[in-house]
Amino acid sequence: MKRTLEPGPHLSPLPEGEENAQRPVRVASRIVWRIVDVIIGGIFIYAGAIKVLDPVQFATDIDNYKILPWTISVGLAFYLPWLEMFCGLALILRRLYLGGLSILTALVAVFLVATIAAKVRGLDITCGCFGHASQNWNFPTHLALDLAILGALLALSVRVLPGNRLQNAV
Amino acid sequence: MRSSLVRQALILAALALVPGLGQAIYFRDRVSWRSPIPASEMVTVTQARAWGENAIWIDARPDEEFARDHVPGALSLNEDRWNELLPQFLAAWSPEKKVVVYCGSEGCNASREVARRLRKEAQLPNVFVIEGGWEEWLKTRK
Amino acid sequence: MRTQIFAVTLSIVICVTAHAELKWEETAVELHPAPSDKEAVGHFKYQNTGSKPVRFKSVHTSCGCTAAQSQKEEVPPGEKGEITATFKIGDRTGTQVKTVTVQTDDPTNVTTVLTLKAVIPQELEINPTFVFWGKGEAPNAKTIVVHAGKDFSVKQLKVASSTPDFQTKVEQTGKDQFKIDVQPRETDRIIAATLTIQPEDSSKTFYATARVTNAPAIQ
Repeated sequence: MKRTLEPGPHLSPLPEGEENAQRPVRVASRIVWRIVDVIIGGIFIYAGAIKVLDPVQFATDIDNYKILPWTISVGLAFYLPWLEMFCGLALILRRLYLGGLSILTALVAVFLVATIAAKVRGLDITCGCFGHASQNWNFPTHLALDLAILGALLALSVRVLPGNRLQNAV
Repeated sequence: MRSSLVRQALILAALALVPGLGQAIYFRDRVSWRSPIPASEMVTVTQARAWGENAIWIDARPDEEFARDHVPGALSLNEDRWNELLPQFLAAWSPEKKVVVYCGSEGCNASREVARRLRKEAQLPNVFVIEGGWEEWLKTRK
Repeated sequence: MRTQIFAVTLSIVICVTAHAELKWEETAVELHPAPSDKEAVGHFKYQNTGSKPVRFKSVHTSCGCTAAQSQKEEVPPGEKGEITATFKIGDRTGTQVKTVTVQTDDPTNVTTVLTLKAVIPQELEINPTFVFWGKGEAPNAKTIVVHAGKDFSVKQLKVASSTPDFQTKVEQTGKDQFKIDVQPRETDRIIAATLTIQPEDSSKTFYATARVTNAPAIQ
């Protein structure tokens, strides 16, 4: 009896012959996307951990954008790093994946807008995104890295859209 | 799919709240939720007044503003003439006294800078910054 | 869905990067005054790239130590100008960041914050700048550590006390590092001295204070 492989949850079923031919490509593609998950998740875990170590400095960095009152900045300084780390972990472990991906995408998008707005307003700020590890980076470097991260998150999001679904257990 | 996404996001948001709250409680003495100075280094005008003779008041504003008006008994110590003014302040200081520094208002940075230098360079203990500065003192002046 | 995400992201980016009519060459200036300078001056140049004149409503500095002046009150279209910010250094040390908040009637850019960062060179770092004894405390020597600031070198140090009530002894403890032992003659009465500290080959003078205070010292 021929063994038939069940198509992976992220693929539409194909004729058996074609499926066997495309298998190496699918495996390679899956590995690549897994690596992206781990890298992006790892970046957010690292960024969150750096900020957890010095929440007072992170509160100052948020305050420097002059968008939110100081009290909210302090609240976010205590909360956001943990949220980043949990979402990063969600990407790596593939648990609560959709939730983690959407939160991180929203966070990076909002942060990018705030950074560009601050620059346009002429504020000279340290990013705060990687704690004071990134304080000597210039604006173009920050912008390029954040756009790259946002691009990767959007690409991961596209993968999990209906028709291209990634199943995961909670 | 949308409900799954929302549910997962809410779970993650709730999970992050636990250590976040724990850290906020742990750091409660190191950060003021009202203004960007550690809570232990700021005092209200009322608190400073209650210290009476045990407090030395420092006016960190420029000379002209001090000359116009200042807290009665306050000494001028600003960064324009730090070297010249510091000895007169140190002559009035003794270890059991509390030093309270003020400048124009909550937004003014001079009092924090003077307080920082007194703590770091002169290594004085018990140096505080007045919340609201001179403006706050004027409101409470009888 | 993908198109929507892309369109929303792009429109947000476009909206916030739209430039204002009053265009600033730089909104943050870093200055490195010389040790002997009394002031640091920053020039913030602008140009009106719009089609209507722009009027300055206010130019406000973050502290009394910085004065800011606009060359003109109204800037016609196409014209250039600058705001000059003069920061009085006084006895300040380290990196000083002062801001100038400019408000105009340009609806696309009502408020601009200009930042002046002055890195004040510190030839000597003295720690602490104040040593004291309580009345009746044993008149043992206390130490002040002095070392050369970043980018400076100090081969020798001259220390003098303003009164003979305090004796000082200088000893080199390493490259560009010294210790000053300060000792009062007695601690039965209130005495004080200003210690003048001068690096060799430098005209700049630094100070520390020594006192016997009126209360027992903190143990």
